[in-house]
Amino acid sequence: MSNSSHASRRRGGLAALAATVGLILTACSGGGPAPTGNDGEVGEPQAGGEITVLLDAGFAGGWATGLDPATSNGTGANLAQNSAIFGGLFTLEADEDGSNARIEPNQAESYEWQDDGLKLVVKLREGIEFSDGTPMDAEAVLWNWIRALSSGSTGAPVLDLNLDLEPQEHSQEFMDSLWAALPADVDRDLIMRRLGAIRIVDDLTIEMNFNSVNGAFVNGLPTANLNLIASPTAYAELGADQFKVTPIGAGPFVVEVNRQSERLELTKNENYFKEGLPYLDALNFQSVAGDQVMYQTLLSGQGDVVEGLSAVTLINEARNNPQVEVHLGTPTSPYVVQLNTRKEPFDDIRARQAIYYATDFAAIQEGLFGGEGDLSQSFTASGGLFYTPEIDGYPEFDLDKAKALVEELGGLEVELGTTDIVTARSVTTALQTQWEKAGIDVTIDAKPLGDVITKFTSGDWESMLQTAGAWDPAAGIGVQVRFGSTSPFSGTPLPEGATSAADAIAQGLRSPLDELLAQAVATVDEKEREAAYVEIAEVIAKEAYGPFGIAFSPAQVVRKGVHGPGLTTPIPALAVNTGVLYDRVWVER
Amino acid sequence: MSSVPVERAPAPPGEVRERAERGESPLGRLTGSPLVRLIVRRVLVAIPLLLAISVLVFVLLEAMPGDPARNQAGMDATEEEVEAVRKSMGLDRPAHERYLSWLFGALTGDLGRSSVSGLPVSQLLAERMPVTFELVFLAFVISLGIALPVAMLAARKPGGVFDRIVMVGSMTLLAVPNYVLALLLVIVFAVTLRMLPSIGFTPIEVGLWPNLQSVILPTLALAIPLGCFYARFLRGDLVEQMNSADYVDTARAKGLGPWRILWQHAFRNSSFGLLTIVGLNVGALVGGTVIIEQIFAMPGLGQLMLQGVGARDTAVVQICVFIFAAVAVFANLFVDVMYAVLDPRIRYGGR
Repeated sequence: MSNSSHASRRRGGLAALAATVGLILTACSGGGPAPTGNDGEVGEPQAGGEITVLLDAGFAGGWATGLDPATSNGTGANLAQNSAIFGGLFTLEADEDGSNARIEPNQAESYEWQDDGLKLVVKLREGIEFSDGTPMDAEAVLWNWIRALSSGSTGAPVLDLNLDLEPQEHSQEFMDSLWAALPADVDRDLIMRRLGAIRIVDDLTIEMNFNSVNGAFVNGLPTANLNLIASPTAYAELGADQFKVTPIGAGPFVVEVNRQSERLELTKNENYFKEGLPYLDALNFQSVAGDQVMYQTLLSGQGDVVEGLSAVTLINEARNNPQVEVHLGTPTSPYVVQLNTRKEPFDDIRARQAIYYATDFAAIQEGLFGGEGDLSQSFTASGGLFYTPEIDGYPEFDLDKAKALVEELGGLEVELGTTDIVTARSVTTALQTQWEKAGIDVTIDAKPLGDVITKFTSGDWESMLQTAGAWDPAAGIGVQVRFGSTSPFSGTPLPEGATSAADAIAQGLRSPLDELLAQAVATVDEKEREAAYVEIAEVIAKEAYGPFGIAFSPAQVVRKGVHGPGLTTPIPALAVNTGVLYDRVWVER
Repeated sequence: MSSVPVERAPAPPGEVRERAERGESPLGRLTGSPLVRLIVRRVLVAIPLLLAISVLVFVLLEAMPGDPARNQAGMDATEEEVEAVRKSMGLDRPAHERYLSWLFGALTGDLGRSSVSGLPVSQLLAERMPVTFELVFLAFVISLGIALPVAMLAARKPGGVFDRIVMVGSMTLLAVPNYVLALLLVIVFAVTLRMLPSIGFTPIEVGLWPNLQSVILPTLALAIPLGCFYARFLRGDLVEQMNSADYVDTARAKGLGPWRILWQHAFRNSSFGLLTIVGLNVGALVGGTVIIEQIFAMPGLGQLMLQGVGARDTAVVQICVFIFAAVAVFANLFVDVMYAVLDPRIRYGGR
């Protein structure tokens, strides 16, 4: 999922106002950094009970485009709802301490790369049924995958499928069901070619054929709509509009009430394929506006869990509150100050290096984040894949060097942009103070997300504080989006001979960094991928394309007695938020 | 003598109008009434006004920075995905075509579909209007319920202890923005005392008391600042009437008691000013629901509009703003009508 959504969760002045009030109220209540103190003994899971999870209305708590995976534009943001209703073919799991994060088959039994990474074979578990009693088999997965790729959802990954294979024969009933579930103006020829690339092997096995190797594909699945398998029979019975509201999956819970982007009430799926799960009898998701209101709602007893509290002051306040527990996630997305090398002043590497030397993210970590989070020198953090804490040649904080470079340049005036959210504004203000000590004249330009996107796409920007990264660097707003030369959100140099990003795409030109980025996903060998990402991080550091900073993961705040993976034991955020495994969430009774 | 039926010649148009204006026929009584003329005239004025508002809203939405399709699709979406979202939102058509299409649809009763959820706008309105209107109605009643007794009591002894408390207290509450007041109310009544829910709306079908419980805090957050404003205004006007109006001196000379003068004479005169202020503030009251509904997670029009603005959902925002504007326009029309009803000296549209 995107950082645009991450930022959009704070869209509008209301959230900023509420957060400001929150700061005041928190200050009055004497919040300050305190030990987490959540290390009490946890007993055996207990079955039964009901919880209400509070989600930010601007992000995970918004599901205005519905819950049909094929047409929803929020599959990356709505991880919680989708995990509860659909479960997922694969899940991201981690050890109790958040380490050793890995993709594990869930409704799938296994997966295997064949033909040197050009064919992915997925085997399903036997006996899984949707909550309407129909089988979840290879045909159902095929039906869902074709829909997911062909219905215009932004949750569909970009795939380089091998479309030259002969389409597989399917029953007329299947084809009728598929055509009926696709948009009326769908390109039927393309669908047939996709039916050549994605093939049923047997009742429980399905394969996907690619033109090129995509080593990040499986790692990105948990945030993609391909991971969510819905009942084709239920779709035919309910129709498109109703299916968006009450979709039928094979996950641990079943939709009872869905008031779009307001409240979702689910009950236990008695037909769930995992013995003894889910623990909870009922699970509710309540959409609430902003961190302050979410936290207050939790304290008022109307909620049991706040997913993804990000205001540092509120997190500290919650730590001091004996009624609740705070669990920080393992971070994957560090802040980065992107520098636009395509225009002055950062077309001069000395100006970029001056920014690196003038930036002391360790001080910001202490001052603004109470020492929490990771300091990163690349586009991922301790929770992410291929994390390397120190990058060779990374220009670390050195005020004297910064001053010398600024003097050599005859002064440096910089506009530092950011998305207008409380934490980002605090970081930019701190950076402004630090840079000014090096003689850099800084103007801050904090804008709503829409304006930031416009600014990026216009190319008329100098430096921009954003977050970069995901659990797999290639997924979501990963390194490609921030540093790939043809991305509209990148300031790295265009390939030689290209006049614009569009021109580079049209001519098929790539910069040296683009080549490395392509190499990093062109293998399914994790060691090769790791080596490629280290090299990419070194190039970014050497060329001074943008200093990286703190990676801070939002907190899960739960009332005492609530437990579960992703809530009280950390799982790295796939992109923005953690994928909580709701089938294993339980409450002390 | 046999009676000969006389065929009456049609009266000349001027005579018809004069008869109507003299109120000699039912239709005439109706159309000749200054009140009806006022209403008709104001409704006729409201039509281009509301049309202009719809154009303005559309232009403002168009002028908002950023690409709504890119916003909706997310930063990691490909250009193809962004274009698909643009098409699904109808943004691939020229702006004037989209506006006219919306306008003709609205005039024929088809409000279109939300470009985000795909749901019919009429369905969204049907679900959300009762929430907002209940909130506005209760806030209106409570604000006046606070203002009238407080102002009367304060005006009875200007400069007295109660008056001073009222003046300081109302100024303090007026200075607190309603979203801050909302959060404070939640902290006290939901978090600390756990008397009332902090978020959510319970429909009246579930039960009257659960419904009222769910709207008490948002209603108070809206009503308290407004009530303070009305109270200060009314108190000031009443004091002025009591101190300087001749009719008050006359009433005193007749031996009427101060409460009776205050209630029967001064308040009656002051009510005209209050009526104006109340009418003018209906727009602010309705507008206040946008933030309050968001804070209390109430599924009303304000929340719908805010979500619509964020997603640049033109069909939704247009109709929400239109409804808010219409409420404000017709509230002012109602005030004008009330003037005429309360004070027969006032003549509207007379020649």
